[in-house]
Amino acid sequence: MSPVIAMNMIAVNITSNDKQMRAHNFSRARGVARFAAVAALGFLALAGCSGGGAKTAENPVPPAQGGGSDYSGPVPATPEVQAFRVEFWQPALASSGCQGCHNASGQAPSFLRTDDVNQAFQQANTVVNRDNPAQSVLVTKVAGGHNCWLSDPEACATILSRWISAWVGSTGSGGRQIQLREPDPLDPGGSKRFPATPPDGFFQVYSLLDQHCSNCHQADSATAQSPFFAAGRRDAPDIQSSPEYLLAYQASISKINLNDPALSRFVVRVGKEKHNCWSSDCEEDAEDLRTAIQAMADLILPDATPNGLLSKAVTLQDGTVASGGNRYENNLIALYEFKTGSGPVAFDTSGIAPAADLNLSGADIGWQRGWGIIIREGKAQASTTASRKFHQLITSTGEYSIEAWVAPGNVTQEDARIVSYSGSTGTRNFTMGQHLYNYEFAGRSSETDGDGGPRLSTDPDAEVLQATLQHVVMTFDPVNGRRIYVNGEFTGDLDGAGGGTLDSWDNSFAFVIGNEVSNNRQWQGVVRLVAVHNRALTLPQIQQNFEAGVGEKFFLLFGVSHLVDVPKAYIMFEASEFDNFGYLFNNPKFISLDPDARPGNIRLKGMRIGVNGAEIQVGQAYRLLDLNISSDEYSPETGQLLSSIGTIVPMEMGAESDQFFLCFDALGSETNACTQYTPGVAPPLTHAGPSSDIGVKLFDGINATMAAITGVSPNNTAVKRSYGNVRQSLPAVHDIQGYLSSHQTAVAQLALTYCNALVNDNGLRSTFFPATMNFTAPLTAGGALNPNGTVLLDTLREKMIGAADTQPLPGDFDATIGGLITTLCSSGTACGTGNRTIEVVTAACGAALGNAATLVQ
Amino acid sequence: MSNMKRSDGTSPLARAAALGVALLSLTWGQQSLAGPREQARRMYERLTGTPPSETLLGELETRLGATPTEASRVETALFIINPNQPHSKDFYSVTLKNWASPWTNRDQSVFAPLNDYSATVIGLVKDDLDFRRLLWDDVVYIGSGAGIRPYSPTSNQHYEDLENNNIDLRTLQLTTQSSLNGLPPEATAGVITSRAGAEAFFIAGTNRAMFRFTMLNHLCRDLEQLQDTSLPPDRIRQDVTRSPGGDSSVFNNNCIGCHNVMDSMAQAFAFYNFDNTAQRLVYTPGQVQPKYLINSENFKPGYVTPDDTWDNRMRLPGRNDVNVLEWGAGSGHGNGAKSLGQELANSGAFAQCQAEKAFRKVCFRSPGSPAEAAAVRQIGVEFRADGSMRRVFARVAAQCAGE
Repeated sequence: MSPVIAMNMIAVNITSNDKQMRAHNFSRARGVARFAAVAALGFLALAGCSGGGAKTAENPVPPAQGGGSDYSGPVPATPEVQAFRVEFWQPALASSGCQGCHNASGQAPSFLRTDDVNQAFQQANTVVNRDNPAQSVLVTKVAGGHNCWLSDPEACATILSRWISAWVGSTGSGGRQIQLREPDPLDPGGSKRFPATPPDGFFQVYSLLDQHCSNCHQADSATAQSPFFAAGRRDAPDIQSSPEYLLAYQASISKINLNDPALSRFVVRVGKEKHNCWSSDCEEDAEDLRTAIQAMADLILPDATPNGLLSKAVTLQDGTVASGGNRYENNLIALYEFKTGSGPVAFDTSGIAPAADLNLSGADIGWQRGWGIIIREGKAQASTTASRKFHQLITSTGEYSIEAWVAPGNVTQEDARIVSYSGSTGTRNFTMGQHLYNYEFAGRSSETDGDGGPRLSTDPDAEVLQATLQHVVMTFDPVNGRRIYVNGEFTGDLDGAGGGTLDSWDNSFAFVIGNEVSNNRQWQGVVRLVAVHNRALTLPQIQQNFEAGVGEKFFLLFGVSHLVDVPKAYIMFEASEFDNFGYLFNNPKFISLDPDARPGNIRLKGMRIGVNGAEIQVGQAYRLLDLNISSDEYSPETGQLLSSIGTIVPMEMGAESDQFFLCFDALGSETNACTQYTPGVAPPLTHAGPSSDIGVKLFDGINATMAAITGVSPNNTAVKRSYGNVRQSLPAVHDIQGYLSSHQTAVAQLALTYCNALVNDNGLRSTFFPATMNFTAPLTAGGALNPNGTVLLDTLREKMIGAADTQPLPGDFDATIGGLITTLCSSGTACGTGNRTIEVVTAACGAALGNAATLVQ
Repeated sequence: MSNMKRSDGTSPLARAAALGVALLSLTWGQQSLAGPREQARRMYERLTGTPPSETLLGELETRLGATPTEASRVETALFIINPNQPHSKDFYSVTLKNWASPWTNRDQSVFAPLNDYSATVIGLVKDDLDFRRLLWDDVVYIGSGAGIRPYSPTSNQHYEDLENNNIDLRTLQLTTQSSLNGLPPEATAGVITSRAGAEAFFIAGTNRAMFRFTMLNHLCRDLEQLQDTSLPPDRIRQDVTRSPGGDSSVFNNNCIGCHNVMDSMAQAFAFYNFDNTAQRLVYTPGQVQPKYLINSENFKPGYVTPDDTWDNRMRLPGRNDVNVLEWGAGSGHGNGAKSLGQELANSGAFAQCQAEKAFRKVCFRSPGSPAEAAAVRQIGVEFRADGSMRRVFARVAAQCAGE
């Protein structure tokens, strides 16, 4: 007997007796449900006033829609027949159409005969697998294409499976058990691999890259952008033996797909993503690249067998399906799992009639691998007729939950509709929406307006909405009103509007995903599951559904018995299609399907994942593993966990074709023959080429310079204030190209402040200027400098400019500053009168101090 | 503007400003091949940010000799920045301060006030201690003076007082961080655990910023240059989505490259946080900060940080291995910020980065010729041998003295 893997599931506490009771209550509930909701509200409000009270009982759930209401045959003989009648027989009669053949006088088995439900029950038992409803003959027959009443046999199979599960009560006890299935032993196939040094054909690819991408993807470019696959110049001598060429090759490896050149990142980036294509036709440019890559790939022969200790190979389809954890779905009224994978319809597989199937429409809406739809522009909408079931079934209980697994495409979209039951942008029954980092819940009730507002939003500071796969549940009940749960946790945001009733709901609205019905509130992202329940799910129920996960999952068994002396030995991964571009590989375990086998002591080191005969170049999360598989750590039921880390394996040819294998540096024996990683290459020395050899001083340097020249302390009150004012207006970079007129204004202001402090302080000025300098006498005579003016000019030149070949010529300085002094003394008030000499000395000092000779280094 | 005073050409201020601009244009382009005097002047101005007095210039010219050599230029530059010489003040108070300030804040602003991070940079150069201690040692520099408030682990006021009062930063004194901020000595890691460093890079977020900015400021490489998609992603935390917007190829082509490198290293800071309320660095030995465990549902099978163990995945063969970043003799893994700081500081990339930064500071540009690039490379090699940042400055000043 093979061991089984117990899935981590939470049992649902619905027994067959519960079901029976529920069935009896159906007819009674319909009439009183609305009253009960209001009464419960009133009761709880009173209970709240008194500080407590007994727990309220769950209202009866209305019956599933469908035929059988006019049944007049023998009553169900046992509670189990009654469960069969309610959970399977009635909905199947209403929806499936199977009774057209499988009736009392038709084709056997007559599991939908309408004359006697007890006989129908006996017939149904012959085609139902109670341990595993999904494997019932009834289900597999339809899944194989036998008279499905929908366009997708898989959807019919899912619905039948759900009805059977509800009937036989497979959710009534502990976790479901998965029977692992041994795959056929296959050896990994060969594929093309990159050699360590550039192959001959690479030069054609490189030439295109160098020609069109070197403005950015080159280390010494002015706008250098890694990776540097355009390093070097294609016309340089000996380019193909240069380090730059090797650098370009290494940077190109991850962008080239030798086995399918059209999937190369280079090709996709330029073509489909239109990234800086060089002609007007991106597709043509991409084709040029693809042709060059193809020519290169044609010259590389595929490796017959990869090196190293290899496991047997498996595809995803060889794995054992492990999906569909134990979800809480007792009050489900609509369910979209998006399993169809193609076509224009996403089926409602809740089994609750009428099925509110969604029609996909829009310019850019399609299917996501591994179950889901990806929406960029478009929506998935049900008809208003089919959507009426939401109104009917939810208003009858007065509460509901909207549950979704979504991956928002970004965190920048505003007022976008994820799931909505509405009539326009301003009228709705409920909406799950996105606004930046927030989920928003608009739910119409007696306490809100017709738009379901004011909306309940998650706290913007919490940023709970992330552009990744998230489980979101929005619940409404008459007491708590609206609540939002993300990834199994209540966000804590409280509904200011409170609870209320749903009397105001409108039954003419349509159920829609991805947009408003009026097409003007587009949401972008991936939807992997949507469910609507006509109960407010409790936190444990929400957590159960969160833990159950979403999407198709497999157990992949990589055979290693040929490497180790253990029968039926496998490395087992949990794998799934993560999205359209990759697989999730998670929780690798060592396990033998022989329950008596024990591993003993086996060393495992360096486990790599390979796809299609080559090890993947990214995501090798188990590459550094180094551990012992031992009997002490091993359990025949669950094996030995090797790592709890998951990794993303890039998709190459699709889930149907990609074949996986493992390579080990050591498994028992050690060979270290898996792919060796290429050592780095020391980057060649680079230089920027000629550039300005001079620059300007920075703010602190200018301040210190002026203090050093004038002898005025930077702690001088006036100077300190002035510097504080202009500090951030002074140059902050040395680059002379960055010097602006505003900088000069600040420099002039500071220079004059220093000179003012210098000239008006007797002590400082007597130190700076010679004793012969007279600050009250004229500076000019006859339109030229007099001796007093000459002393001033000489002092300024000597102390502020200095003598060096790199400084201004003395003659130039004298002409300019001397001219300034002469002009100032000859216009307005004459020097030697009042404070005029002081003013002119200050001005001349400022002009000399704040000029380029002191600023430029 | 009716109230604007019209200039009649007689306003001294207006004329002075105009002349300043005129002289500015006059001087540009006059730089030319220079003799000893010009070289001495340039070296002094580039190193200190201020002009030399005539007397000092004469002395420097003499030291350079009639025909300056590489050796005489280096020796002259060392004389210029000798902290025991009165003329060296502005090298420490102006040049080094402005050099280090951008490293101490996320905006990389040169206007950031003096702080314990930049003071430690200045102090290590002043005392000519092994500059690699910057990233790992139990070291910090503090000042003193009339009216200067004492060092506080909860504010930067001490350093702002020093700066606002134009205190000569050559008076900074070496002390231990652990004696001031309460960290155990083994938890100190130079500027990484400085108050300013923590305020800038341990605040909020996920502490990855400390790794990124340390690499950017001290190994001269941003994550753009370090990203390597071939490294194992097993240490990437749960908060990193593996399918941004539903496209895992974005993760596998972009995100993974940086997080491969970063997450296994930034784990060294798992016990550190900056408490924005108390305004101080917090260290919780043995207890991983909650910021390491946020957004765990983004990718449940991601890495859950259990402690402060770091592993330098860049040592694995690839674009950041020993051939490229020249890792030192360490084991490539350890616990906590101190050993991580040693790992980084002992690399050749750290040494080369100091040489490149000093060159850009003193020469105002990157190396402009193969010969200059080789010279800077050699300066880095020599720094790796002696750890003297002061000599690095002297050597680069000699390189662009304008001969």
